[in-house]
Amino acid sequence: MAAATQIETVTITVNDLELTVPKGELIVESVKRLGFEIPIFCYHPRMKPVGMCRMCIVEVGFKQPDGSVRKMPKPQAACTLPASEGMVVYTDTEAVHRDRKGVLEFLLVNHPLDCPICDRGGECPLQNNTLFYGPSTSRYVEIKRHLPKAYPLSKYVTLDLERCIQCGRCVRFTEEISGDSQLAFRFRGANMQPSTFGLMEFESKFSGNVIEICPVGALTSSKYRFRARPWDLQTRPAICTNCSNGCNVWMDYRVDKVVRINGRTNEAINEEWTCDRGKFGHDFYNSPDRLNVPLVRRGTALVETNWSEAYSDCIRAFTSSTNTAGLGGNANSNEDLFAWKKLFNEGFKSNELDYNWTKVAPIADPTHAKPSIASIEDAPSILVFGSSLADELPIVFLRVRKAWFKNGAKVIVAHDQATDADSFAELVLNYQPGTEATLAQALADAKAGKSVEAAAKLTGVPAEKIAAAAAHLTSSTAIITSHELLNRPGAHDALGALKGLGELRNYALNANDQGAAEIGIGTGTKRSAQILADARDGKLDALWLLGVDPFEVCEDHDLVQAALENVAFLVVQAHTKNGAFPYASVVLPMTAPAEADGTYTNADRHIQRFGAVLPAKGEAKPAWKAFSEISLRLKPGRPWFNADEVGRALGAEVAAFANHSFNQLPTEGLPLV
Amino acid sequence: MSLGIYKGIVKPITSGLGITYRRLKHKKVTVSYPEEMREQFPRTRWRHFLTRYESGLERCIGCSLCAGACPARCINVVAAENTDEARYSPGERYAVRYEINMIRCIFCGYCQDACPTGAIVLRKNFELADYHREDFIYTKDRLLEEYPGQSDEPYTSNRKEWAEARADEKRR
Ligand code: SF4
Ligand code: SF4
Ligand code: SF4
Ligand code: FES
Repeated sequence: MAAATQIETVTITVNDLELTVPKGELIVESVKRLGFEIPIFCYHPRMKPVGMCRMCIVEVGFKQPDGSVRKMPKPQAACTLPASEGMVVYTDTEAVHRDRKGVLEFLLVNHPLDCPICDRGGECPLQNNTLFYGPSTSRYVEIKRHLPKAYPLSKYVTLDLERCIQCGRCVRFTEEISGDSQLAFRFRGANMQPSTFGLMEFESKFSGNVIEICPVGALTSSKYRFRARPWDLQTRPAICTNCSNGCNVWMDYRVDKVVRINGRTNEAINEEWTCDRGKFGHDFYNSPDRLNVPLVRRGTALVETNWSEAYSDCIRAFTSSTNTAGLGGNANSNEDLFAWKKLFNEGFKSNELDYNWTKVAPIADPTHAKPSIASIEDAPSILVFGSSLADELPIVFLRVRKAWFKNGAKVIVAHDQATDADSFAELVLNYQPGTEATLAQALADAKAGKSVEAAAKLTGVPAEKIAAAAAHLTSSTAIITSHELLNRPGAHDALGALKGLGELRNYALNANDQGAAEIGIGTGTKRSAQILADARDGKLDALWLLGVDPFEVCEDHDLVQAALENVAFLVVQAHTKNGAFPYASVVLPMTAPAEADGTYTNADRHIQRFGAVLPAKGEAKPAWKAFSEISLRLKPGRPWFNADEVGRALGAEVAAFANHSFNQLPTEGLPLV
Repeated sequence: MSLGIYKGIVKPITSGLGITYRRLKHKKVTVSYPEEMREQFPRTRWRHFLTRYESGLERCIGCSLCAGACPARCINVVAAENTDEARYSPGERYAVRYEINMIRCIFCGYCQDACPTGAIVLRKNFELADYHREDFIYTKDRLLEEYPGQSDEPYTSNRKEWAEARADEKRR
């Protein structure tokens, strides 16, 4: 951001208290500064005000030269009213109370009385506002409108048209925030209905958010439908581990089952949004395939055993040879990864650990992930290169869109396919697959004033377009790439060329990939594919799979299968049965992310704590605990007792993590040093 | 017979028996339970029942409001969706599981107050003793049993009417 600019302020009076606020601030926001509350429905701080519901009406007047106040003849909507000098606002007068009652009575004319079976009941803004500001009885005796109930808008969202109060929040969300414009109003007046075009399926990567922002139970979650009422639930803060963005969420569970995930506000990470992958991707917690006892192979069968025997088997295999390796890659905490590395380095005398499955290794330089996700918003121009952001890092996509929508950033998209970001891009550079490096170099050349004709021919992007794109690139351009680019030919050349063009970010994709890199996993001599190849060729004596299913992350299934079949000894440490399970020599049950304390490093090196929400399943243990117990058997010493101790040990060894242990982290997390 | 013996023994015994004699003329207050049962007050609250509509559909819609109101936290409701093939209650939602832990219940009747459909009611059946702790978890099946001689009214407010109804019940 530029240096702080002088903000023009005005002085207004709210309920006889003087207040100085930035000129043009909406009154609905200004009164919050004094702790007053104005009831709202349609207003949402992250979207443009529309004044559709009239719930926020207040009395407004202006100071006259003689000191008296001249009130406007009609009440005003506070959500569309910008503060101006001398404005006098009353939020608590007789007239305001009467008007609010009236507005609520009108809204309730068409609202069904099905609160007892409505999933929103108990946490519903309409219920709350009615209770605090509304009439206590109804004068409406006529028949209410009847409309379809429980209409499945998509596999995640159920629409109950009777309950809609036509606030337009959902419609505006898809227009302003997610940008897919999937919802719109049809018909007029009391018949107005939000719907998809032609009642087609509501296809959005962010559809779950409309469930949360709908101020009534019109849009509800199909997955959570009738699973619980709010008072049946326990709610704990959690971190989403479905991708490397590390969104802050609330996890709602009933007894010991996760039933719902809601967004939790963290301005530095996800604001308040969630993507559908994260919001609805919690089934695995309740999966019947969860592992809950250690298993060892005896003969051809896997038999249940105790931890002690399982450890002995692992130790025998991994200490009898130093030709061993480990593969990780999914959602393990920093603690798990650190304890893993320590066990391998010190106990098993091996450093062949890898977590990364892309064709070429990520660039080791951590500054590549340094510019924060939030800072994308302030960039005057943004280049999204070789990444389909909405699929890979959905919440980063929302930031990029916000930068364009709110701050007018110029967005340039370079990809070999059409992506969601094309819709608002200033320029789309649609290149031939495989020509990433050429295009990146061409952009650099164009910037340097060189001719790019040859590159234009190769990449299929017209030279004028390349030049036009290059003209937008300055040192403060946010250049966004992801590890997906590392699967393309010449990825390192492309990244090298892009580095000079602006602030380059090469974001990791899995939950704690960044943490693994910082901890030093992947510093061995072999990369994951090589480790698998060695295993296939019988050149590896023992392989440890930490929370990863190689069939999922490695495209070459034949290689994976041959590797798992041929490796002499295979440890599968996972929370759920996965593809590698049938090949295991030892299976160690591990806690899932919400079942143990841990910290996670996200793509922009923000480290966040994730306290245990649920109890561990059966005998499952956090991975670090298993590693620590194995280490103890190899070399007696003081064990680690909790995640915080592991984190402190990590901080002592890896400078970036100093003072970033579980207990030292604030709720909103900290960037790594 | 010395005066001492008369004052110290005979007089107290006879006056004591005198009280007994006078009491014999009073009306009995004990009843010989279980053959006989005492008339209960109209708003007595004991065992819960889940009631049905005349059509046979369950009144309970699985809304958990009773569970929310219960100060002892002893109600567990798990809801599910009615389908046209399997319809348990009118509307969209019904309770697949409904359990009350009678050991924890304090018979306050808040559940009955909270219920929007009048499904859960506390009736006058107070013989709730049992042998096993598990048997105190009243499941939906047990709660849906019919209360002998029940009316849809949760309790009759008029004492006389109630006594008559009770007498009727006895005759049957
Ligand atoms: S569905 Fe909900 S968010 Fe959308 S207009 Fe209706 S009340 Fe508003
Ligand atoms: S009577 Fe009171 S304690 Fe018993 S189940 Fe009902 S609300 Fe709970
Ligand atoms: S008994 Fe009444 S309050 Fe309880 S779940 Fe059923 S309908 Fe709701
Ligand atoms: S909140 Fe202002 S009109 Fe709806």
